[in-house]
Amino acid sequence: MSLWDTLRTAIHSLRANTLRSILSMLGIIIGVAAVVSVVSIGTGSQQVVLSNIAQLGSNLITVFPAVPRGSSGRVQEEVRSVFTVAMAEEMESRLPDVVNVVPVVTGRGLLFAGGVNVQANLVGVTPPYVIVMNYAVDRGRFISDWDVSQQLPVAVLGSELAAELFEDRDPIGQEVIAVVGERRQALRVVGVMAPRGQALGGDFDMQLYLPVSTMMERIAKTRSVSYFAAQAVASERAGDAVEQVRFFLTRRLGDDRRFRVSSQDQLLETMSSITQTLSIMLGGIASIALLVGGIGIMNIMLISVTERTREIGIRKALGAKRRTILFQFLTEAVTLAAVGGVIGVGLGWVGAQIIGHYGGWPGIISSESVAVALGFSAGVGLFFGIYPAAKAARLDPVQALSYE
Amino acid sequence: MAVMFAARDVTKVYDMGAVQVHALRGVSFTIEGGEFVAIMGPSGSGKSTLMQIMGCLDRPTSGTVVLDGEEITRASDDRLAEIRNRKIGFVFQQFNLLPRLTAVENVELPLVYAGVGRKERRQRALALLEAVGLGDRVDHRPNELSGGQKQRVAIARALANKPAVLLADEPTGALDTKTGAEIMQLFAQLNAAGHTIVIVTHDPEVAARTHRIIHIRDGRIVRDERLAPRPGPAAPGAAGERPPHAGPSEEPALEQGVAGP
Repeated sequence: MSLWDTLRTAIHSLRANTLRSILSMLGIIIGVAAVVSVVSIGTGSQQVVLSNIAQLGSNLITVFPAVPRGSSGRVQEEVRSVFTVAMAEEMESRLPDVVNVVPVVTGRGLLFAGGVNVQANLVGVTPPYVIVMNYAVDRGRFISDWDVSQQLPVAVLGSELAAELFEDRDPIGQEVIAVVGERRQALRVVGVMAPRGQALGGDFDMQLYLPVSTMMERIAKTRSVSYFAAQAVASERAGDAVEQVRFFLTRRLGDDRRFRVSSQDQLLETMSSITQTLSIMLGGIASIALLVGGIGIMNIMLISVTERTREIGIRKALGAKRRTILFQFLTEAVTLAAVGGVIGVGLGWVGAQIIGHYGGWPGIISSESVAVALGFSAGVGLFFGIYPAAKAARLDPVQALSYE
Repeated sequence: MAVMFAARDVTKVYDMGAVQVHALRGVSFTIEGGEFVAIMGPSGSGKSTLMQIMGCLDRPTSGTVVLDGEEITRASDDRLAEIRNRKIGFVFQQFNLLPRLTAVENVELPLVYAGVGRKERRQRALALLEAVGLGDRVDHRPNELSGGQKQRVAIARALANKPAVLLADEPTGALDTKTGAEIMQLFAQLNAAGHTIVIVTHDPEVAARTHRIIHIRDGRIVRDERLAPRPGPAAPGAAGERPPHAGPSEEPALEQGVAGP
């Protein structure tokens, strides 16, 4: 019996019981759709996260205070009160592979301009901030060294913040009143940043940037720095730079548990391993649906073999060999699974488009994931089809013929 | 004419756990090419078992069966399937057509298993349906056909691979008398055209339409009755005549007589 005849026979049998065939495919359809869309969501969101990190700036190193463990009887220290501006200057001058160390002081406040008020983050920085963060000025200028040394009350606005405060008017030269806690401070706008978008740790476009000295002395009234942002001199020196920062801060603070240093590379690695783990986990859960679909196919095939015992007997009496019957039923199972797989890929693609639309990433389906899903579903059909097909092939022709 | 079937000391024992059922207790006979034979006996006599063994659907417990010169007793399952496909045409009481296939597709089935190409098998199937008088019913499914028509389709299917022998198991059992007579007429025509035909039946009227009746009871042949002379160029007399003594046979007839109208 030729392959083509076998396939035709299988399709004929499946079409004779269309509803049942579709229902038994449903498990595979759902499984494949789930795998395809989950993998697409995984890669899509990973792309977004990784490009966000990459955007942060090349060779970025961040140093955050860590929460020290409070042991019994000793109260945990305030988290932020560990870093100073002096440390930033020292790191800049002493650590050979570290440049552009920016002490950053953040705080939340209310901004007034004209009749409008907006809640926003105030970020006290030094001029290299734009280099470290790979951030561009759209209009006017950024914070200068003079601003910092003189504690001048100047501000640079994120693009969205500027639009919210001043709408169509030109913000440059205008005054913004910042209210943080009890204090009010008038700031003169000297620049507006280019749009940047969401990134790790907040929305750049909704922040107000001002000299770190102005922030510390006039607004936050603090002597400690929220975190440091710095750069390695070159990407291949990033590991050394991190080690140098760690060594320096451990000596200075007497404890390496009071801060966390991470380079952009490490961040990328961590994030991609997190999203990868997530993808594998979700894909694993989705492939359980495929497995269940396979069991559904086996179930239907077993019922079908029992129902068609007499047909099998007739076919054997007419000269069908064991392997002919085996292939016939195996072909039916694989056809069910493969057709289900194709429909599942289609549904998965639609699902990926919809979710990608809302998630803000392209609903791309890789050819690998399609190939894997189709191959896997055909494999599932083959695996779960073998037992029923072998059962059919083994039937004794005399008994099969007399089956009622 | 050459020997078509030669059975020697064929026994069949069904092991039903505690009990052993002896369906055949040593059966020997010879059927030559071109013969028209009935195997007759009451239910439980072993005639169906005998037909299953002759049709290569089952193997005997002991003894040998030679079909068309080939020992089938020890043939492999695959070889038996090939023999069923090429050398045997089955006609069943319940027709055993595949309900989802049309008449012509049913007739094509043995040709599909024989590996005949699509065009040729369609041609042959249509010609066979024409020959059994169903040229205008080729695209009907079994449930759109009458009993007699279904049996004609089954006969056409049995003839598809030009088999050495037609084996019919109670071919008129599910038909009314008139239709049954028509089917027997068709068998007679096929025999006249040279086909070897073996019919298993419990009905003396059906058996009487054949040329030789092998009576079987309790797993043994009790009588081998010849109603018409052996076919072949040397056969004396015309078909339909029933001389009291047929030519010499390898199995001497246990009893000669006339049965049925």
